[in-house]
Amino acid sequence: MKTPKSFEEGMERLNGVLAKMQSEETTLADSVKLYAEAAALMEYCRAALEKTSLQIEEIDAKLAQSAPDSGEED
Amino acid sequence: MAEVISVSALNRYVKMRLDADDVLFDLALRGEIANFVQNARSGHCYFTLRDDACSVKAVMFRSDAARLAFRPQEGMRVVVRCRATLYERDGAFQLYVNAMFPDGMGAAQLALEQLKEKLAKEGLFDPEHKKPLPAFPQCIGVVTSKTGAALQDIRNVIGRRWPAAKLLLCPVTVQGFEAAQQVADAIRRLDQRRDVDEIIVARGGGSREDLWVFNAEVIARAAFRCKKPLISAIGHEIDYTILDFVADQRAPTPSAAAELAVPDRAEQKRILLELQQNIRKNMQNRLDLCYNGLEQYNYVLEQHLPDRLLQKNAAALQQLQDSIRAQLREKETDASRQLQHAAVLADSLNPYRVLARGYAMMTTEKGKILSEGALQPEQTVYIRSASRRARCRVEAVEELNENT
Repeated sequence: MKTPKSFEEGMERLNGVLAKMQSEETTLADSVKLYAEAAALMEYCRAALEKTSLQIEEIDAKLAQSAPDSGEED
Repeated sequence: MAEVISVSALNRYVKMRLDADDVLFDLALRGEIANFVQNARSGHCYFTLRDDACSVKAVMFRSDAARLAFRPQEGMRVVVRCRATLYERDGAFQLYVNAMFPDGMGAAQLALEQLKEKLAKEGLFDPEHKKPLPAFPQCIGVVTSKTGAALQDIRNVIGRRWPAAKLLLCPVTVQGFEAAQQVADAIRRLDQRRDVDEIIVARGGGSREDLWVFNAEVIARAAFRCKKPLISAIGHEIDYTILDFVADQRAPTPSAAAELAVPDRAEQKRILLELQQNIRKNMQNRLDLCYNGLEQYNYVLEQHLPDRLLQKNAAALQQLQDSIRAQLREKETDASRQLQHAAVLADSLNPYRVLARGYAMMTTEKGKILSEGALQPEQTVYIRSASRRARCRVEAVEELNENT
């Protein structure tokens, strides 16, 4: 499977894979291939989200450090 | 013949006589100004005060002139407070003026209204010329007295609200007729500086006359030409000066002007915090949305969609297999039933069973059944019964006639 460039691309491809899997015309052999592809895409998307989530946490932590603490006044 | 005296003695004598006069010592005098000049170096003012018939020389020293709220002009009718005496050196009779007022505030007010009307007609007060104040100024030009309370007030407010802003003071005298030109020049100078973001023109209170200078046309024109946003803060609440009309914003006091000029740090902190929280929430929502979207796919996938296809196929396969097996079994049963039938039938046809019932058959020596047509006299045949056989010799062959 070609690795998607982005989360959005991954989701779009997942959508496509799902549609194909749901089609009556898909053979069993093909559906297994699609299943494998879906799992890989899913893995990619989940990892992308985890990475984003981690980045957000990092930024939040940085923000918390430099946050204007509203209490202090001189 | 009288005593001969010197010019100096005469002048001294006359001056003494004049100074001894209480009326001349403190006069209020009405007249029209003529030949007004101010000595550039000393700052003293010299002019003539006259009426229809007479005139008198007058001087106003710098310290007194500094308190003038208007610029004396040729032909202006004024009332002066003065002492009349002799200038000894020149033997000149002259007035020492310590205060000067326009003759009747009514006339001054009229002039003001006329000026206001003129400037309004020219569009100096038009709202479309009003410039918005910068949201976050870095440098604020201040036109005010170096020593006045106005500067201190502005400093305090900006120090508290927005300490990041730099103040650039262009000091001016805010009273006296020189003030107008100085203020106008100060506005122009600050306007030319690239680092100045906005300008405050301030005067910390005073009488109506004290503030009169801010009605000057030069200030109004300088303020109008000024490309930077300008806030007027001439310390009085009720009356508006012409500068107030031209300024982009008018503040009742220097402190109020400073508040207009800069944002409030605490408020900005709060806004920033709110913004930050909104952004965070937004980011989190977005992420959650993505997770949900993915979770849906995951759900469908976990429903074992291909598995179901597999199961469906497997079931079909099983069914097929079952039916094949069933058919096979049926065929097998059929065959075995037929076999049994055949066996029974075969058994029933067994000739040996007939022999057992007491019949015998005729064979050759080798056990082959002999047909009756083959019988010959003198022939050796074998008679076979169930468990024995007998060798026999045919004596004769006779034809049987059953019908007989």
